[in-house]
Amino acid sequence: MRAYKDLREFLSVLEQERQLLRIHDQVLPEPDMAAAACALTQIGEESPAIYFDKIAGFSSARVAMNVHGSWCNHALALGMDKDASMRDQFFEFVRRFQLYPGTLERVENAPWQEVVVDKDVNLYELLPLFRLNRGDGGYFIDKACTISRDLDDWNNDDVENVGIYRLQVKGRNRLGIQTVPQHDIAIHMAHAEERGEDLPVAIALGNEPIITLMGATPLLYDQLEYKMAAVMQGAPYRVVKTAKGLDIPWGSEYVLEGRVLCGRRETEGPFGEFPGYYSGCHKYPVIEIDRVSHRKDPVYDAVYVGRPWTEIDFLQAMTTSAPIFLQIKSTFPEVVAVNALYTHGLVVVVSTKIRYGGFAKYVGLRVLTTTHGLGYAKIVIVVDENVDPFDLKQVMWAMSVKVNPAGDIVTIPNLAENLLDPACSPGGIATKMIIDATTPVAPDVRGDYGEELDRPLGTDQWQTKLSGLVKEMRK
Amino acid sequence: MTVTSVRVAPTACPRCRSATLGVVGKSSVAGVWTIFSCSTCFYAWRSTEPEENVDPEKYPAAFRLRPEDLARLKVVPPVPRRRPSL
Repeated sequence: MRAYKDLREFLSVLEQERQLLRIHDQVLPEPDMAAAACALTQIGEESPAIYFDKIAGFSSARVAMNVHGSWCNHALALGMDKDASMRDQFFEFVRRFQLYPGTLERVENAPWQEVVVDKDVNLYELLPLFRLNRGDGGYFIDKACTISRDLDDWNNDDVENVGIYRLQVKGRNRLGIQTVPQHDIAIHMAHAEERGEDLPVAIALGNEPIITLMGATPLLYDQLEYKMAAVMQGAPYRVVKTAKGLDIPWGSEYVLEGRVLCGRRETEGPFGEFPGYYSGCHKYPVIEIDRVSHRKDPVYDAVYVGRPWTEIDFLQAMTTSAPIFLQIKSTFPEVVAVNALYTHGLVVVVSTKIRYGGFAKYVGLRVLTTTHGLGYAKIVIVVDENVDPFDLKQVMWAMSVKVNPAGDIVTIPNLAENLLDPACSPGGIATKMIIDATTPVAPDVRGDYGEELDRPLGTDQWQTKLSGLVKEMRK
Repeated sequence: MTVTSVRVAPTACPRCRSATLGVVGKSSVAGVWTIFSCSTCFYAWRSTEPEENVDPEKYPAAFRLRPEDLARLKVVPPVPRRRPSL
């Protein structure tokens, strides 16, 4: 475990580990920056973060991208060995997750208070904004933590929320915000609008890597992301309060303070979204910004979102898998692991021990009733305990030989689904499917399953020995 | 990439063709780029972007909007009813 005090410290660690690439040539804001970040995702699963500080037209902009965009960077964010496997990262994430709650360390001052702009705020000039995808309706802030409290329960820290929502810059001091009904901030907004009041919000940009992961995690409504970040980093999470009473990470680079305007909805979008499609346009809520604070020479960060896989898929990988796993396991202790890495968990693979014939389908149904399942999980593949859900070769083998569509496919029509899923019909509604790719056991006697192949005696010892010899040979 | 020179000031929004546009930002290094924004559809663009993002004639058909269609966009989330005042 490791507690990075800010984004700068994490970037320096990435650089030491040769996981940060500085671009020394001058680049254009468009199309260079998004193109470079997109290209990085094509290079492979060990892509470094990328850092631009010579951007045409900006006298002193610094922009980092792909900070979470590889398994190495993800492991380093968690303070693990950079070669840690996906599976090891999953189980470590899950282990820490169960230590909730951690504690907050409240301090008075933070570096982000160094420069304050509270008159004539112009986000187009204060932030190094740039277009990510050519059809985007404007410039989006897409990796910032938006912090809000519940006006009906203002002093309750546990219902304070830190979430990552896309924010479209729509005027010098105006933003659009995307909040779907499944998001905690949607509850805060609904309470504020029922009261006829604006909702105070703060937007923290350029953060150490753990709170960004937590902002992307579907925690329960009364779980505070800072308290989860504390157990994830193994130390109390340091925050500073704004004048309005919202907690901000000590290490943030920029802090935008403002209000979600009561009852206001305006054209927003499109934005290239996580399913690999543009979102279309909607009438979304609006935030007015009154004050911007930032560090001297602030570092801006952004996530390139494109057709999977891009950085966002690493960012949402374990943060989606772990909560689903823990929620199912509390009902069915037989569950071994959950892989919800694909397209923010629209497809989920679960491995489980089987209690009796027909059991796997109940496990699949339970996935659909988890917090994330309610709005995302659409196709659930259930595999046996000896199939690693993170190894798609094994999952495909299970699908190949253990599925008879006549009895192993369950579909449930007209369930709620995230409106960004282009397969919805109508928007926000989809049929969901469970694929039982486990071996039938009594009293389910379908199929003709004899003896499954195992491995020759001594294979494990040979594997250890040969791995060492191969490594030695390639030095 | 080299920086192209700032083009002629636009007269219509590339996306919705409205004339309701204005300058919202300028580069801190003088004269490199200008950001424009349309107050009808909220599209924003920078003068140095590829032509398909700045020229109404080259803006991709798939992303165009008609001002008369904006009122019909889906409202998300719906505005809840005000609580009765106590």
